[in-house]
Amino acid sequence: MTMLNTSAPRLRPPRYRVDPSARRWWTVQALLTVTGPAFLVALTMTTLSLLFFPGALGWLGPLLLGVLVLPGLGYLLVMPPWRYRVHAWELGEHAVYSASGWFWQRRRITPLTKVQTVDTVIGPIQRGFGLATVIVTTASTAGDVRISGLAMDEANELARRIGEAAAVEEA
Amino acid sequence: MDWRRLDPRMIAVHVSWLAAPAASLLLTLLISGGRLELRSWLTLAGVTLGFLTFTTIGIATWAKTRYRITADAVEVRTGMFIKTLRTVRLNRIRNVDLTASPVHRIFGVTTLRIGTAGSNDTGSEIKLDALSRTDAQALRAELLAHVTRAAAQDPVVSVMNPRWLRYAPLTFWVFGGVVLVLGLGYRALEAIGIEAWRLPLVQQLAVEFGSSALWLTIPLVLLASTLLGVIGALGLYLENWWHYRLEWVSDHLLRVRRGLLTTRSVSIERNRLFGVLLREPLLLRAGGGATVKVVAGGLGNEEQDSARSAVLPPAPLPEALRVTAGVLREPVGPLVDPVLAGHPRVALRRRIVRGLLFVTAPLLVVQGILGWLLTDVLLHLAWSTALASLPFVLWFARDAYRNLGHGLSGSYLLTRSGTFSRDTAALRRDDVLSWTFTDSPFARRAGVVTLTAAVATAAGGYRVPDMAAADSAGFADRAVPGILTEFLDRDAEGEQLPAEFADCGAGGPVGADGAR
Repeated sequence: MTMLNTSAPRLRPPRYRVDPSARRWWTVQALLTVTGPAFLVALTMTTLSLLFFPGALGWLGPLLLGVLVLPGLGYLLVMPPWRYRVHAWELGEHAVYSASGWFWQRRRITPLTKVQTVDTVIGPIQRGFGLATVIVTTASTAGDVRISGLAMDEANELARRIGEAAAVEEA
Repeated sequence: MDWRRLDPRMIAVHVSWLAAPAASLLLTLLISGGRLELRSWLTLAGVTLGFLTFTTIGIATWAKTRYRITADAVEVRTGMFIKTLRTVRLNRIRNVDLTASPVHRIFGVTTLRIGTAGSNDTGSEIKLDALSRTDAQALRAELLAHVTRAAAQDPVVSVMNPRWLRYAPLTFWVFGGVVLVLGLGYRALEAIGIEAWRLPLVQQLAVEFGSSALWLTIPLVLLASTLLGVIGALGLYLENWWHYRLEWVSDHLLRVRRGLLTTRSVSIERNRLFGVLLREPLLLRAGGGATVKVVAGGLGNEEQDSARSAVLPPAPLPEALRVTAGVLREPVGPLVDPVLAGHPRVALRRRIVRGLLFVTAPLLVVQGILGWLLTDVLLHLAWSTALASLPFVLWFARDAYRNLGHGLSGSYLLTRSGTFSRDTAALRRDDVLSWTFTDSPFARRAGVVTLTAAVATAAGGYRVPDMAAADSAGFADRAVPGILTEFLDRDAEGEQLPAEFADCGAGGPVGADGAR
């Protein structure tokens, strides 16, 4: 195969975004896993300090604010929109392509010939937003593709198409 | 080629044996102040005689040894009383290695050993002690040229060689071995009902250590623990690797057998063998050694895999390279003199920053806070240790950067990285089943990306860290054509990596898609 132009080829981003309501799902996730616990710990420590060591608030307050409250709040506000800008997917002719992450971003391309199973997984919070995750597994953990935050019917359709395309490619 | 002599400088090497008795004579004279008793004279005379014998034998051997290379064999004629002629056919040669003791180095000569397939006893190898360095290198190159396809077809890849034991102290176990030996001793005493701490000897030692001259006892204790560590490392090496044998039992089954007390045997199917990994941990690399692991599927989970995938104990680098070729059944393995593309300079900066963040900064901050709370001594300690850590950080960062590399060699993808353990992997390009590109905002600003090739092993992926982002897609596409071709943009716009895109499908295929 000869290249007609000499510039180095670039990997373009995948074509399709995930469902817009994924942002709300990620917000709830952030609340439950990071921000909520951080706030709770900060609140508990402040209460204890008020009850038993009122003198400690002078240095404990700023410490809790800097270590728990502000990072928790930042994560809650920054992560979901950033993720939404990054997450994307595309089912090509020979491969499935996904982009994920927010701070650390990952783009993974897995050929359909290497696909072993295709699962659609719906978590308890996802269900509330009508979302699902498509997981494509291969023989290697470093080759598995997860596309999360798709609308349920879209996810089922994609899973079906990947399964069919993989079977066609296999043959 | 005619019969040739060994290098005449060997006479000097043999004479240098006499340095030992000379030194002991000098020392005795110094200690006794020049007055020697009869007994000392006798001992010295005995020692001198012993070493003289060594020297004489050495010089005589040198005088009687001749070697030559014919069209199809290496011949060595030697012998003082019993004449021997040893012939090794060139197509049976499997390895040629050069070693030089410190004394050899002083005189600029090198010992050349020629090993054959399946020769593990030192009796069946040829040893030329010694040739001048240039002669040895020329001869080695000439002989290695004969290590042809025959080697790739040889079912026995490698067998244990007792001389590899010298690499045992260069493993981590030289540190872990101390604990191991002490623990074993303690347990053994406990088993017969003795508590080590209660022994009067131990208690006496502990008391005396505190009141002794520390400038002398601390180095002594360090020396003793080094010795213990060496013993432990040697013991582990023997237990793990004695009777080691790596061979193709059939055309598609590679088998490793090893172990002194517990025999381990691992069989690896050829069609699940995806590549090979050359590991050079820091100490071992400094000593010119390496170990080899296979990159293979079906060896269990990650923990089991790390034990089962080892196919060569710590051994000389040339042997390791030979094994990598034998495991892949290639006449010359892809890891022999690999051509690797370096990574952008930015990767060096990133490694220095990483070192400063994870080594220097914690030293400074932790000790600084403690110093501020407790004592001023720690404050001084903080800045001095942080300062002292700088050269180390810089050295390791530089080494890590210089070790980065990637490339293609025939049907293999090569990637090298690491400083504490420099790992070079050669993966079959056909067995790569997915590509992953990872980066962080810092990496994006620096224009680098980490590329991961997924293979069906327990470890999962093999990384090419911090390669130039602009080259990454092209490299991945060349390495394994077809996987990501349809997602490539070939337009000549100089944008690095589209980190964000405003709407779906930005930048569809613009440039020509290449000839179909």
